[in-house]
Amino acid sequence: MSAIETRDTAGAEPAPPPPAWSGSLMRWLWLGPLLASMLLPFAWMLAVSLSETSGGSFARAISGPLGLGNYRGLFGAANVARYFANSALVAAAVVVLNVLTAAAVGYVLARRRVPGERFWSLGIVATLMLPKQVLMIPLYLVMARMHLLDSYSALILPFAVDAFSIFLVRQYVLGLPIELEEAARVDGASDWMIFRKIVLPLMKPVLAVVAIQAFLTNWNSFLFPLIFVDSDRLRTLPVGLALLSQTEHSVDWGFLMAGSTAASLPVLVVFIAFQRHIMSGLLAGAEK
Amino acid sequence: MNITSPGVPGNKPLLPRRPRPTLRALLALLLAVPLLFSLACGKKGGAAQEIVFWQFWPAEVIDPLLRNFEKEHPGTTVRMEQLTWQSGLEKITAAMASGNVPDLCELGSTWMPRMLHADALSDWSAGIADLKPQLRGWEICSIGDATYGVPWVLGTRALFYNKTLFAKAGLDSTKPPETWEELHAAADRIHKLGGGIRGFGAQAGERYVLFKKFMPFAWGNGGTILSDDLTRSTFDSKENTDALAYYLELAKAGVLDRQDVLDREFKEGRLGLSISGAWLFKSIPKDAPGLRYGVALVPAPDRDRGSHASFAGGEMLVSFRGSKQKQAALELARFLVRPENALALAQSAKSVQPATIGADTSAYYREHPEEQLMIRQFATAYPTPNHPAWVEMEAAIEDEVEQALYGKKTPAQAVADASRKLDELVGKK
Amino acid sequence: MRSYSRATAWTLFSPWVVTFALFGLYPFAFSLAASFTDYSPINAASARFVGADNYVRALRDPAFWSSLGNTAMFVVGTIPFTTLLALGLALAVQPAFRGRTIFRVGFFLPSVVSVVVLSLVFKGLYAPNGSLNGLLHALGLPTPSWLLDPNTALPAIMAMDVWAASGYYMVIFLAGLEAIPRDLYEAARLEGASWWGCLRHITLPLLRPTLLFVLVVNTVRSLQIFAEVFVMTRGGPLHRTTTVVYYLYEEAFYRFNLGYASAVAYLLFILTLLLAWAQSRLVGRTSGVGA
Repeated sequence: MSAIETRDTAGAEPAPPPPAWSGSLMRWLWLGPLLASMLLPFAWMLAVSLSETSGGSFARAISGPLGLGNYRGLFGAANVARYFANSALVAAAVVVLNVLTAAAVGYVLARRRVPGERFWSLGIVATLMLPKQVLMIPLYLVMARMHLLDSYSALILPFAVDAFSIFLVRQYVLGLPIELEEAARVDGASDWMIFRKIVLPLMKPVLAVVAIQAFLTNWNSFLFPLIFVDSDRLRTLPVGLALLSQTEHSVDWGFLMAGSTAASLPVLVVFIAFQRHIMSGLLAGAEK
Repeated sequence: MNITSPGVPGNKPLLPRRPRPTLRALLALLLAVPLLFSLACGKKGGAAQEIVFWQFWPAEVIDPLLRNFEKEHPGTTVRMEQLTWQSGLEKITAAMASGNVPDLCELGSTWMPRMLHADALSDWSAGIADLKPQLRGWEICSIGDATYGVPWVLGTRALFYNKTLFAKAGLDSTKPPETWEELHAAADRIHKLGGGIRGFGAQAGERYVLFKKFMPFAWGNGGTILSDDLTRSTFDSKENTDALAYYLELAKAGVLDRQDVLDREFKEGRLGLSISGAWLFKSIPKDAPGLRYGVALVPAPDRDRGSHASFAGGEMLVSFRGSKQKQAALELARFLVRPENALALAQSAKSVQPATIGADTSAYYREHPEEQLMIRQFATAYPTPNHPAWVEMEAAIEDEVEQALYGKKTPAQAVADASRKLDELVGKK
Repeated sequence: MRSYSRATAWTLFSPWVVTFALFGLYPFAFSLAASFTDYSPINAASARFVGADNYVRALRDPAFWSSLGNTAMFVVGTIPFTTLLALGLALAVQPAFRGRTIFRVGFFLPSVVSVVVLSLVFKGLYAPNGSLNGLLHALGLPTPSWLLDPNTALPAIMAMDVWAASGYYMVIFLAGLEAIPRDLYEAARLEGASWWGCLRHITLPLLRPTLLFVLVVNTVRSLQIFAEVFVMTRGGPLHRTTTVVYYLYEEAFYRFNLGYASAVAYLLFILTLLLAWAQSRLVGRTSGVGA
């Protein structure tokens, strides 16, 4: 029995079906309180977002009337829908580009397919190690000279290829047994086929992580969208929220918390959707 | 060994084929799309005449003013971009580095000294000469006789007090404290009410804030920071030491915390007295509509000594050396500082007042005595020295005052150390 | 075959090279160059070469060393906890059980909200009259002013960071755990291995590359902590929460000394590189960083 089955159908669980509730209960008993205590700050956020008179105080939020006033104000505010749409468009583009390039480049680097692989790998990691506060101005200069400022490209291109994602994939591929690929080559498959049919499906878990983390970083990104884009019509959500809720000396807590809660939902959705793929059970019966 | 590709039934071995172009094409397409976008949505070139204006106030306040300007100047449009308070300076800095600067820009008084001395702003001395007698705050945007901007709106700090707590402590709520002694006495009595009630809200170490809350006492006592020609420090003086000692005493009859916490405590009725700014006029009706409070000038050391000094800051309108439409920007600036326009902004924002001299006589301020008081306070307010290293100097003073607040140094030591640091910085350009 | 190999590799590789050169290497090189000048963004044209002056100045500045000390304390005080917590959570939610997704999502939730908003929330929680002190007061425990007391300010921010980051690394550990072939566990169980034995002899060794990855990435991130400090304490009280990046931020944007700030950034870079290399020596094997 030497067939290696690669599964690329989502959600095919090679593990046994989940145990009955009784088996899970033990886990709930000790994980439950931990989870509850970790989520307390979100109770704060939610309470303040539902209160129009809290002034940022939890006690005042729950002792006063609760309602959806802040949320109504949020979605009634002129441009919030536009900000949401911009964020969604940019994040989707960045995620797609990230996944594609990280898969490709991470694989190539891990399998040493280009000269100077060490240099590139080191270069990737090195750029992560310099704080972006310093890189910001030269990056802005590049964008200005290429006339990319104040456009969707400014929000997408610099982040389309992300060092962190590439690094993730490279580490992961290094851990994959090379025998699979070598066997395929012996069988006469081209490199391209090997990449597409064998390696790519195996990369599902790490690509899911790449997708999640690319979406997350980009969705909440504040500094670069702030400085690369001037126009209101291109503005993304975090910048828009800050503009609408913060003045020089005070914060509109209700509005900001409502906005932040609403902004968290898409990321949650993306996470829930992709996290199953992390568990897509590969190498269930791998043998050589 | 067979490799079964999913979706391909049976054991058909894979034949070598030319790499399929699909993925490559897809990649190329994906990279091309945003580039196409950029061509479609990038910066649009020349409308008839377009003035790019960067400022910090909400669109609904500024847009009406800009539309009026456009009506008066047919063929001209204003493209307004709103900056965030927290990070606006980063954006302006990046723009300056690349030469991609707006035509007209709002700059806060804290950043003016460095900008002025970096020779980054355009000279407006001729263009605003006729406005000189009409506005106040010119020292913030001038070096010597040359002027590089125009004052738009101004801000200061005053004494806020809780009338309900005054009454509870047996004090006359129509007579706010006017001298240091009265202030301390009032703070003490309110503080003794207990039950979570505190007397005076003393500002803890906080960048760009502590200076504005402490210095009013130093200035009021006759203290100074630098000599008039900005060549040496005059900070080490008895007046400043006494002021700091007084501030420490005052902190004992109250609580030490950051501005937003002090503001919140005041709004929730647990703080009797606090030095704060006009933004409270906007947030109190919203967060604490039932609060009975009053505003007064910062107390002077004594009835016959010192002054009701405070901090003088504001927002200036400037144009950069690299701006493309300098003349049009100047016209827009002149438009915005017209009494009625500055008033419109101040009325809506409440956290600032117009730089127009005589604004306090307008109907709006006669109906809003607390906000009017801010304008009165401005008459005895001190601007910060216009030295290029001002930001470092302010930080040095704040650091030393903070040390004294935490009991690490005596007032005399703190003031002396600060003065020494100022002397080191004075030579910097 | 050879030509296909090269062609495929370069096709996959080239779009990235261009983008990386423009948006990654150029700013990197620019900052290096700037660190040897007195470049100021508001006065870009008059930048002069100053040799190693910036570096000497940084190494002589007590404020720089103090910020380095704060950063070191932050790193040492958060990495072990975050790593252990993340690993523990991953192990806890990896096996199939009812409601597993709820826990995965729940633990990941802190990573979902932007760090600026979280910092604002915690600033409110840590306030003297805030919810945390309210809880402690009810339990009869002391209620310090967390962000104002020089001794508790940095620990308070550290605690928030551990809370916020664990869920994210839990997800990375989960991916790593999934790569471990299940039949290894079955075989071990057949031979009577305990849960702890499985952990020690199968899971942990096979998780090494992932562990190294988490350590390196978390260290690099922690060395650059900025947003939390900016929102919650602005580097105070008494500069006890000023991290290296906060220190260089103030230099770059309030004093407009980008040349000096770049030098500080490169000093941090060297430190980061050394730490990452040390970690890969200690923890990694052939699949380590740059190996």
